[in-house]
This record gives sequence, C-alpha cells and structure tokens, in this order.
Amino acid sequence: MKKDIVVALVGNPNSGKTSLFNELVGAHQKVGNWSGVTIEKFEGIVHYQDYVIHIVDLPGTYSLTAYSPEEVVARNFIIEKKPDVVIDVIDGGNIERNLYLTTQLMELGTNMIVALNMVDEVEKQKTTIDIKLLQKLLGSHIILTSATKRRGLDALLDHVVRVFLGQIIIDKNKLSYGEMVDDYLDRLSIVLSGQADLIARYNPRWLAVKLLENDKLVYELVQHYPVFFKVEFDLLQILGELKKQGVDDLEGELAEGRDAFIRGAIRETVVFQKIQKITFSDRLDSILINRVLGLPIFLFIMWLTFQFTFTCAAPIMRWIDVLFNGLGILVSAIIVNDPLRSILVDGIISGVGGVLVFLPQIVLLFMAISFLEGVGYMARAAFVVDKVMHLVGLHGKSFLPMMTGFGCSIPAIMATRTLKNKSDKLVTMMVIPFMSCSAKLPVHVLLIGVLFPKQVAGTVLFGVYLFGVLMAVLTAKLLKTTVLKGGSEPFVMELPPYRIPTLRSTFMQAKNKAGRYIRRAGTVILLASLIVWFASNYPQSALTKSNKSLQLKNSYAGQIGQFIEPIIAPLGFDWRMGIALTTGLAAKEIVVSTLGTIYSLGESVDHSSDLSQKLRSDPHFNIATGLSLLVFVLLYVPCLAAVAVFQRESKSWKWTAFYVAYTMSTAWVVSFIVYHLARLFLL
Amino acid sequence: MDMLSLKNGESGQIIAVNAKGEIRRRLLDMGVVKGVPFSMIRKAPLGDPIEIRIKRFNLSLRREEAAQILIERRVEPEASEL
Ligand SMILES: Nc1nc2c(ncn2[C@@H]2O[C@H](COP(=O)(O)OP(=O)(O)OP(=O)(O)O)[C@@H](O)[C@H]2O)c(=O)[nH]1
Ligand SMILES: [Mg+2]
Repeated sequence: MKKDIVVALVGNPNSGKTSLFNELVGAHQKVGNWSGVTIEKFEGIVHYQDYVIHIVDLPGTYSLTAYSPEEVVARNFIIEKKPDVVIDVIDGGNIERNLYLTTQLMELGTNMIVALNMVDEVEKQKTTIDIKLLQKLLGSHIILTSATKRRGLDALLDHVVRVFLGQIIIDKNKLSYGEMVDDYLDRLSIVLSGQADLIARYNPRWLAVKLLENDKLVYELVQHYPVFFKVEFDLLQILGELKKQGVDDLEGELAEGRDAFIRGAIRETVVFQKIQKITFSDRLDSILINRVLGLPIFLFIMWLTFQFTFTCAAPIMRWIDVLFNGLGILVSAIIVNDPLRSILVDGIISGVGGVLVFLPQIVLLFMAISFLEGVGYMARAAFVVDKVMHLVGLHGKSFLPMMTGFGCSIPAIMATRTLKNKSDKLVTMMVIPFMSCSAKLPVHVLLIGVLFPKQVAGTVLFGVYLFGVLMAVLTAKLLKTTVLKGGSEPFVMELPPYRIPTLRSTFMQAKNKAGRYIRRAGTVILLASLIVWFASNYPQSALTKSNKSLQLKNSYAGQIGQFIEPIIAPLGFDWRMGIALTTGLAAKEIVVSTLGTIYSLGESVDHSSDLSQKLRSDPHFNIATGLSLLVFVLLYVPCLAAVAVFQRESKSWKWTAFYVAYTMSTAWVVSFIVYHLARLFLL
Repeated sequence: MDMLSLKNGESGQIIAVNAKGEIRRRLLDMGVVKGVPFSMIRKAPLGDPIEIRIKRFNLSLRREEAAQILIERRVEPEASEL
C-alpha cells in the first residue's frame, strides 16, 4: 500500500513554482516571466519511493493576508486544507523580498521546506549564501533547486518524505517583534489557547499576530468561537495600551518587525558580489521602456507579433488548403451516392478543412505571445500601457486578460479573476470581446485576403486588432463613467529580470493551445458544420432539387437568413451573411466554414473550396460589405461558450444580458457607419 | 518629501508609507517598509507609473501611491543594499 502525501507549492509570484511543479510531475502547466501567471491551484502526482506525492501548485502570493482572489486560494489551501508539507519556493535572486512570505509561513507553524530556486542565477551573480545558518534562522530546511536546469528535484522529494515522516526536525524559530509587542502576542496567545478546538486547527501565535494586524478573515474566524468575547476584550485593551505608547499603526509595526528580522538574516548569511550596478536587464530596459522609445517599441513589438504570425503561416496554410481540396476531389470521385457525397465533401471536409487551414496562424500567434511572456516583456508592456488603462479607469493588470483575449475569450474572462475590484473585473470582461480572439482570426484573414492585396494584409490585420483595442478603450471609459463606476485596484507590480524562455515551454504552451483549438474544430465545429449542412439542404422538395441556389434559399438556414435580413440589410448584408453570422454564435470560426458550405453549395458545379475566389466573384460582395462584415464579426458577441463563462464569472444574468445586448448593438452601429462611409468613399 | 521628488538615478530611504488599506498592505508586503533604501529608476513613457529599485528588485507603482510615500534623500546606498 502506497501512502499519500499532500504537498503545496507556495511562494511569491514568479518565483518558479509552476516550473518546479512541471518538472516534478511532468506536467506542462503555464509558465511565464511575470507575476500572476497561475490563478488557480492545480494538482499533479509523482510516485516517489513508497509514496504517492500529491503536489499542488498554488497561485503566487506576497503574503498571507488575503486581498486578491489568488491570494485567497493560496491562503485557504495552506490554512484550511493543511497540506502535509509546504514547500516555500523562493526566487534566490530576489531572496530578501521572498523571505517576507517565509516569515509568515514560519508563524503558521506548518511543516515547511524552503526551495531556494533559481540557484543557477544566484551562482551567475556570484552571490554566496550560508545555507546552514539561514536554515537555523528560518527554522526549516533549505534545498537548492533550479527548475530550468532540473537541479535539486530529487533532494526536494527526498526531504518531503523525510519531513512527512518526522525524521528531520529543526527547532522552529520564533520571530520576534521586540519585547513589547512579543509580550502582547504572548498574552493574546494564552487567551486564545483557552479554546482547545480552535488552537487544534490554528497556531495561536499566528492568530494573535493576525488579530493585531486587524486581519478581517481571522477576526471573523475567531468570532465563531466562544473565546471571542475574551479575546476581543483583551485585544481592545492591548490596542489601547499600545496607543498610549505611541504605537497605533500595528500593520506597519509588524511589517517592520519582519523586515528587521529578514535584513538581519540576510546580513548574516548572504554575501552579494559587488556587481556592476548596471545589469543586463537594466540596459535592455533603458531602451525598451525608455521615455521616448517605449511606446513606439511597444506598438512595434505588437505589430511584429502579427506580422510574424501572418507571414510565417502563409506557406503552410497553402499546403493544408491543397490537401483538403485534394481530399474533396478524391472523395467525390470515389463516392457516387449523392447525399453521402454531399455531406462528406460539402459538410465535413469543407467545414473542417476551412478551419484547420488557419491552425498554423493560431499556433504561431500563441508561440509569439508565450515567448513575450516568457522573456518578461509582458510586465513591461503593462508598465508602458498602464497610464492609458488608468485613464479609462482600469488597472494595468487588465492588460493580461485583454491580451489573453487575443487568444480566446474564455481563458481571458477567467483571467479577470486576478482583478479584485468588482467594477474593474466587470468592465474588463465587457471589453474582452473587442480583443479579437483567435477564432475570429480565420474570418479576418479570409476577408482581408479577399479585400486587400497580399503586401498590406499583415498591416490591415494589425489595424483590425488595433481598432478592436480602440473600441475596448472607449467602452471601458464609457462603462467606468456610467453604469460601472468604482475605484480601481492598486498598481504595484514587479518588473522581473529578462529571461530566455526554454524553447520547450514555449512550444508546449503553443501545442497545448493548438490542441485545444483542434479539439474544438474537431467536435464543436464538425457538429456545427453538419447542422449547417443539414439546415442548408433540408427541407427538400422535387421543385428545388435541381436548382441548388433555390434549394439553399428555401432551406431552414435560408429561412433564418431571410428572417433576419431586414435587420442586417442596412449593414450591406444579405441572407447568406445572415446565416453565417447566426451560426457564428456557436463559435466564431464557423462563420468561415458556413460561408464555405453555403458558397460551395450555392454554385455547386465544382467542389474547389477556395472560398476567397468565390467571394471575389460574388457580385453582392464588395469592399463596403466586406469591411462592414469584418467590423461586425470583430465586435459582435463572442461565442456562446464565452457568454456562458461570462455568466458564471459575473454571477449575474442582468450583466450577461447587458453584455450580449451591448456587443450586438455596438457591432450593428459601427458596421452601419463603416458600411456607409465605405460606400461613399471607396466605391 | 515624497518619493516623487527624486530624479531618476537618485536614492532615498523610506520614512513612512501613508497610503491606506489594500495599497498600503501591498506596498508593505513587497518591501516598501520604513527604513528601507531604494533608488528611482525611471518614469514610464507616459509619465506614470514609475519604477524604483528596492531590495534588489524592480518595482513599479503609480504616482498617486508614490506621492503618499515619505522619504528622505540619501547619498548612494551601498551596493549590497540595492
Ligand atoms: N533561471 C531560472 N529561471 C527559472 C527557474 N525557475 C523558473 N524560472 C523562470 O521564472 C519565471 C517564472 O516561472 P513560473 O514557474 O511561471 O513562476 P510561478 O511561481 O509559477 O509564477 P506565478 O504563477 O505567477 O505565481 C519563468 O520565466 C521561468 O522560466 C530557475 O530555476 N532558473
Ligand atoms: Mg505559476
């Protein structure tokens, strides 16, 4: 029988918890060189000796006070779930700040091991650390690790087992806040100790510290116990006495106490190389986020990302296109049964093919984004754009979900969990649909390909994204000054040193995301393609059977399209686009496959799936309609799955309805303007 | 004197963090504590936020908050402190 050990990885944001987690359990959870990458806890398993070690990767946290949601996740797990062993992951290059959390963990009295991570960087900086002495001071074992160089992993697991078995015990060191405060803490601890069931779960000294710090959650916790009345009495008395002595800011006082302890410990144990003051990161930053060049460079990097995506993907896309065309021709030649051939070629092959052809682009875009995240540029980007965010009332951190929105609205909406402020969170969720997601990319690419020459395609695509961002900014400002007034969260953020991301993690992340995209293309899109094929082919009648375009017009799909045609006619759309936009509600990329199905059905004769060609030769499709459609698809409500996630995250049907109505009406109004302007000036 | 009175490249030491509530907590958690030396690195391209170096890492915060942090000027802190 193997025994279970539950281990939690805690530590400051960006200290390498997820990297360690991935190496320990062989997972590929998301890693990035900026804070707040992990927002939910994630569990993995490693078999070691006779044990099944459950390792839980937690979101990064600077302390055990619980302000933001990720902090609450981390805190609750450590305090309430009580893992057998807590691994405190410390960024060795940033040891002084990281130890602040360690001091809080010391107070909790958990079974703790310190993983001093990034030793490779520590060694490079020629910093020496007296580990033995530091262990004594912290009262816990320290293991040197490097997640990227895979060092110290076995030693870590080995210690987990030994700590679990109680084979190694180091005297727990008590953090002193000076005699006076210590006395008061002791007094409170003694009162708290009167409640046996309470202190069976929580360390009394920790509770005392938190009560003095005025920690709301701990206060509420103690309230549930009879001892509360005594505790409150003493607490008030203590606070009064402290005030008389001139100490009324206990939060600051305790922070200083911890800081003093840490500085003392650092002075005794760490020798820093007298480095030249200018590090590589400093030098790079003096260019990249320079007062003058910072903003142009930011825009340039974003532009480059899209240019790279577009250019590199083009040749691969052509191959895939050729492949699916060939497949269509092959199948039509083999299968003689009419309805079967129709469903295979027009439904399945053209539907799925039309989506898979854009896979290279999606993979490349994700690769570029995870590269930028891995390098550490994203934190700089937030630094550079925070002023703009702040102007519209948002937090620089909103940049993260908005950026994620370029990939997919669903993780983006979930990423707003990092925003503590409710109005911040709702506003950010509202603007995410305008950050053009990768599912819209195939539609943009198709339309831009039809409307513009190849040389400017990348630039136009960038323009589309920028236009979406502009709409997002305007929306945010509008909402923040009207229906969603409210303050913002503090912007206090670390700018980590630049790092070279491992190729493996960049690839794995792109691969994971591409996998998700394919699964969607394979199931949702296939299903939707079949529904669209069915809706376009039925009901059949003898009269319409010979005439394919009449058939389509009379089909269920045609009926829906015609039904909504009066609403979308002012935007330059006919019923065929009506169908595509309706099916696009299921998932945006379906707009392409629907158009594919509709167009190849409508003209029927050959089965070549080159949709662009067909759109170009359609007399109803001109630059005005094209631009209008481009804008409409960019702005109208994201897929139904995103709406569902919005509802779940906002926990409000009212806001969900508003969300749908707002995006729909914005799309309509803006497309209307674009269509008529284009007709005036471009036709 | 508040944090904003320092020019890029100048150094100081924290005297008091006058911010309130959550902002204050976060600042304390990240090492912006009374007595800690730091130096001003730069302002963002649009003037806000600012970047300081403190406890051997780079921290960015908004002007609003920086204005609530009282400091005193200091000649170059020792290399081991920054
Ligand atoms: N040089 C070096 N870099 C590392 C090491 N471990 C992690 N990193 C890098 O540090 C950065 C942060 O790693 P993550 O694993 O995402 O950090 P995290 O602690 O999970 O961060 P959050 O999820 O934001 O709390 C990434 O760029 C990693 O590549 C290490 O041992 N050495
Ligand atoms: Mg993580």
